[in-house]
Amino acid sequence: MIAYIIRRLLQLVIVLFGVTLITFGMLKLVPGDPAVALAGKNATPEKIAFVRHERGLDRPFYVQYIRYVERLVHGDLGESLYTARPVAEMIREAAPVTIQLAVAAVLIELLGIPLGVFSALRQYSFWDTTLTTAALILWGIPVFVLGYFAMYIFGLKLDWLPIGGVGPTVLGIIPSTWESWQTLILPALTLGVIEIAYISYMQRASMLEVSRSDFIRTARAKGLTERKVIWGHGFKNAVIPVMTIAGIDLGALIGGAIITETVFNRPGIGLLIYQGINQRDVAVIAGGVLFATFFFVFANLLVDLGYAWVDPRVRLED
Amino acid sequence: MGERLLTIKDLSTHFFTHAGVVKAVNGVSFTLDRGETIGIVGESGSGKTVAAMSLMRLIPDPPGKVVEGSLMLGDRDLRTISDDEMRGVRGNDIAMIFQDPMTSLNPVMKVGKQIAEAITLHQDKGKREAWQMAAKLLARVGIPDADKRVDQYPFEFSGGMRQRAMIAMAISCNPDVLIADEPTTALDVTIQAQIIDVVREMQAQFDSGVILITHDLGVIAEISDKVMVMYGGRTVEYGPVDEIFYNAHHPYTWGLLASLPRLDESEKTRLTPILGQPPNLITLPAGCPFTARCPYRREECRDKWPAHEAVGPDHGVHCWIPVEERVAIRAGLPHFKEPAA
Amino acid sequence: MPDWDQQPPEEREVYGSAWVTEADGVDGRRTAEVVDEVIEEQTKPLGLWADTWRRLKRNHLALVGLGIIIVFISVGTVETVFYQMHWHVRASAQAEAADAPGYLAPYDPNETNYDLSPSGLGSPPSWSHPFGTDYLGRDVFSRTLVATRVAMLVGIIAVAIALTLGLLLGPVSGYYGGAVDSVIMRAADIFFAFPYILFVLLIMSVLGQGFQNVFIAIGVLGWATFARVVRGQILSVKSMEFVEAARAQGAGDLRIIFRHVLPNSMAPVYVAVAMAIGGAIATEAALSYLGIGIQPPNSSWGLMISDSVDYLAAGNWWWLLFPSLALVTTVFGFISFGNGLRDATDPKLKE
Repeated sequence: MIAYIIRRLLQLVIVLFGVTLITFGMLKLVPGDPAVALAGKNATPEKIAFVRHERGLDRPFYVQYIRYVERLVHGDLGESLYTARPVAEMIREAAPVTIQLAVAAVLIELLGIPLGVFSALRQYSFWDTTLTTAALILWGIPVFVLGYFAMYIFGLKLDWLPIGGVGPTVLGIIPSTWESWQTLILPALTLGVIEIAYISYMQRASMLEVSRSDFIRTARAKGLTERKVIWGHGFKNAVIPVMTIAGIDLGALIGGAIITETVFNRPGIGLLIYQGINQRDVAVIAGGVLFATFFFVFANLLVDLGYAWVDPRVRLED
Repeated sequence: MGERLLTIKDLSTHFFTHAGVVKAVNGVSFTLDRGETIGIVGESGSGKTVAAMSLMRLIPDPPGKVVEGSLMLGDRDLRTISDDEMRGVRGNDIAMIFQDPMTSLNPVMKVGKQIAEAITLHQDKGKREAWQMAAKLLARVGIPDADKRVDQYPFEFSGGMRQRAMIAMAISCNPDVLIADEPTTALDVTIQAQIIDVVREMQAQFDSGVILITHDLGVIAEISDKVMVMYGGRTVEYGPVDEIFYNAHHPYTWGLLASLPRLDESEKTRLTPILGQPPNLITLPAGCPFTARCPYRREECRDKWPAHEAVGPDHGVHCWIPVEERVAIRAGLPHFKEPAA
Repeated sequence: MPDWDQQPPEEREVYGSAWVTEADGVDGRRTAEVVDEVIEEQTKPLGLWADTWRRLKRNHLALVGLGIIIVFISVGTVETVFYQMHWHVRASAQAEAADAPGYLAPYDPNETNYDLSPSGLGSPPSWSHPFGTDYLGRDVFSRTLVATRVAMLVGIIAVAIALTLGLLLGPVSGYYGGAVDSVIMRAADIFFAFPYILFVLLIMSVLGQGFQNVFIAIGVLGWATFARVVRGQILSVKSMEFVEAARAQGAGDLRIIFRHVLPNSMAPVYVAVAMAIGGAIATEAALSYLGIGIQPPNSSWGLMISDSVDYLAAGNWWWLLFPSLALVTTVFGFISFGNGLRDATDPKLKE
């Protein structure tokens, strides 16, 4: 387990190095002279030169990169090209909104596991066919399409739920009022239902594969009841690979959360990036993407450690 | 030999697939007594594993189904007893060892738990007691440090040790019948002999009847009392082990023996393969399934299944070639020229 | 007396009758021939495809997916071909082009003021405009059809780019292993570390919006998926006997990779291609919806959805529904077919 953690942390360092390098490279590739932009309108050539030197923009690429990472470590993501506000501050305000949605969607997503098992145990039955077809259709629906339909039906036509916004919270992400819960329902369900579809499909496939394996036959040959065969021997083996898949899929979930925010007008990272796109504010876009990526990378690390803890083949390896 | 344990009569198991009906087992009969070992030999697809799984009622249904025959365990017909009763038989009266020890154990459950599970299920034992028994069983099948090993997972075991653990699991409830389905095929040659020894020892201790399924006549020679040769889902020949080795009557049995290396022969004898491929079980001929590959076939072979013909004490064969002709052909085969004494 | 393989069966007396020679298997041929035939039989791609098709046919969802793909590609191809012609005509003689759309769309997708409703928000579906019209009075049906072209081009070109990169890097990584493998796979890890859609978005925000940039962004980011799939396959095939045999005959590395290893490891790649095309179409829609992908006057389903949502509160559901349906159906088609293909080619599921 310790060896595994060390290997996993080393991998993390490499990944973070690559991610920051790519983000930094992207910022460098943006057309136009950043010194001119930073110096402001009507700046004199002297001022531009001063800014360029002060910001280190005349230094070699690798020096600039190191300074960029140094600033990142200190929580400095630069300033918005549009409002001149520190990007880190904007992200700090927006992050809880996004995290709230992502966590809610993950909790809903977990329902996919029992659904997948249910489907697999009744392979080829009416329910299995219905659930599998529904899963395949939902899985391919872009989240913003589903979001707008949910908004149109439940928000506008039926008028059951608010079509956007956020409410007050406790501990940063837990809604503290009924209204606040209400604003979360539609976006979380939109995102969650798509994830349920994916996870239940994977869980079904995994369960079916395990049910054909030799050790299940061994368990039956022992005389165990079907229930013990399925839950005692099959389930754990079938859920382990799905955990990995769910961990990788967290990236899609975070991406989905960010797009969902633009549908339901939730002031999270997604809306921030969306505004960044409209205002051609690459600093904000890059900051938002970097934050979401770091969030994903660390969440994935936690999932992998949990996975390693559940699977003795990884846990006990030295 | 002791009391009669199993009486299998006319067992037929078919699989109803999209491509057609796969006639995996067709009218197979045999008996098994306490303390006796029967070897079922044949190439893959000959129906030997399906026959054993039918006995355990572990044929996946659909698509598989036992369509005919009676499977008597003592005075109980395994085809008609309830599912509940059948679960009481599995692991308790009939236990099974599988081919691939790498995949036949649950990778995320401790070996001890997997053995103890069977014990608590069939015997009136508590968890702790079952656990202690599991450790004792592991020691008994020759696993060193059994007290420690019982707490480990299958991936921490070598292939041979896993197969020993499988055997420990199978004998944990002192079964009357032990089915070993290719127990050594997936193992190193050096380990194979050890595993066969363990099976033999366990049989002696518990006085079980053993059904040994294999494609390896060498293994059969070592451990079996009698042999049943299967081809294309049918029994083509059966008899005591010496009869099969030295007085075989079916061309397929000759072919099997000819492909077996013999240390007692001079280097003159060639190892000869049986030409052609195993039959398609969907389009089996009504007659002898070996017809297509048989060098001595004749017209009646393909369309009619030959009646049972007794050729010796407890030795029978299904073949259209007249017995005198068979003996003459066999005398000319290099492998049979000088039967070893 | 005959022994087991010295003498072909036909030379033995018992083989006189006619039915034997035309019958089963090995009659009258020597071992070597039979063995050759067995090897060909086992490696023949046709047999593999026939088997795959046989199993795919039983999967109704996959067949529906395949049907959708065929319709989608047909419509997209017709639109692409006529789009070029139309464009050409329009450049030379604008007036004639306007009343002769000349392809599947019944109306010019960019022509405004069809049946503009009194409120100025377009009219709901009717016989003359089955999908209704939008706020400029443009025919939604025609626009949805024409947008198939963009979706198809994005799907095919972007995935072709990703596949090419993957087919170059994956084999190298899998076949040579060692340091090369480590570098390529760590790079893939880094690409996978980004939430995909955000990475595309970041690249688009640097490259700038536009048609070609969408291909490039989606295509270049897709390499890691294919490289991983191909590498995994190469690893599993590399040690098989026929590769050893090829090496023993002195075949070079490149020849081994592209002649022997790749053709035997393509099934999961085809699956990944089907899924990736669906994914690329969905990604393009998302980018266009966010305003960073396809730009007007090109029409795209994502763009149409993006246009429609501002008017959703006014009740113009048809304007959201039809492009969404086209998008969802197409993506479903590829995913469903991809899943079916995976099940049909998975050796573990063979009975």
